[in-house]
Amino acid sequence: MAGLVHPATTTIPAEASKTAHTKAEEKTDYMNLPCPIPFEELQREALMSLKPETFEGLRFDFTKGLNQKFSLSHSASMGPTEIPSQSAETIKIPTAHYEFGANFIDPNLMLIGRVLTDGRLNARVKWDLTDNLTVKANAQLTNEPHMSHGMFNFDYKGKDYRSQFQMGNGALFGASYIQSVTPHLFLGGEVFWAGQHRKSGLGYAARYETDKMVAAGQVASTGMVALSYVQKVSEKVSLASDFMYNYITKDVTSSAGYDYILRQCRLRGKIDSNGCTTAYLEERLNMGLNFILSAEIDHRKKDYKFGFGLTVG
Amino acid sequence: MASRVSLKTKGKGGKGSKGSDEKSAARCLKEWSTWAMKKAKVVTHYGFIPLVIIIGMNSEPKPQLYQLLSPV
Repeated sequence: MAGLVHPATTTIPAEASKTAHTKAEEKTDYMNLPCPIPFEELQREALMSLKPETFEGLRFDFTKGLNQKFSLSHSASMGPTEIPSQSAETIKIPTAHYEFGANFIDPNLMLIGRVLTDGRLNARVKWDLTDNLTVKANAQLTNEPHMSHGMFNFDYKGKDYRSQFQMGNGALFGASYIQSVTPHLFLGGEVFWAGQHRKSGLGYAARYETDKMVAAGQVASTGMVALSYVQKVSEKVSLASDFMYNYITKDVTSSAGYDYILRQCRLRGKIDSNGCTTAYLEERLNMGLNFILSAEIDHRKKDYKFGFGLTVG
Repeated sequence: MASRVSLKTKGKGGKGSKGSDEKSAARCLKEWSTWAMKKAKVVTHYGFIPLVIIIGMNSEPKPQLYQLLSPV
């Protein structure tokens, strides 16, 4: 390691970064690598572009801010909801929901709670104990017995690595670690153990990013192989593609999509190898008023979902 | 969570206590931890949103009570 670092760069880091940009070849300072993004957000660019939250029916969200940190949200949605069925046909029943939420967002503490009319609570807590240590908790609680889930995460952020330890109900334990190897390459791994199902798993992940593109890959012993590639074609346009393969069940899914981030709107569309096309439009009508259109057409299952909504605040 | 707790007690209580005491201590602890988890779930279910609202209403600048209910 010592042989790779030029002695001048460690003593005068500010000047070295300026000269590094002007020179054609950069000397990478392996002692000052950037901190990687969290392990669960490894494929976040691809996820944001290719998996918008499509919905069916009407959706109305109203967020009312009481002060800088505290806000309440009211959300109403009406539409058909799919219920799992044994046959190949999709069965939908019309439902209407009202969801009340309270958010408290502080630099050190974030509390988000959402409760539905049927009594389901969705709670998220993120507490920054110190600069480097963060505690996160996530819970979905229902009135039905044995259907509630909870998970605690302890994250430690080091200089050029991040590690995380997870504990969940049903004796679920997991740990993950991601390290910067070069300024552009990040490698990581994870292990988990599910006590209730007596399953354990191991996974590896790699992410290579530059200003213009991000390529990420993940392999897990549960059989999952996920690769993604996002290219930022211009300031407003990104193209993304995704490949998921399960080497145990031999399932393959591939998708390609675009993400246009324009001044007044954000348009995302994708097409899948399962014969499914999706489009999602968020248009900013006015300050704080957003209009949303969502469409998902599954040609193979003949399932057509169209949704529209309005978000205030 | 419960199985992890019971493994801990088996390790610690193995030295001095007899076999039957060990088993009942582990089972007691398991029952108590399950009871505590159940109570914690009920408390979180009913109390999380009120907790967020109380923390929010006491943060600076303090919002007024009518702002909780009015849509403006």
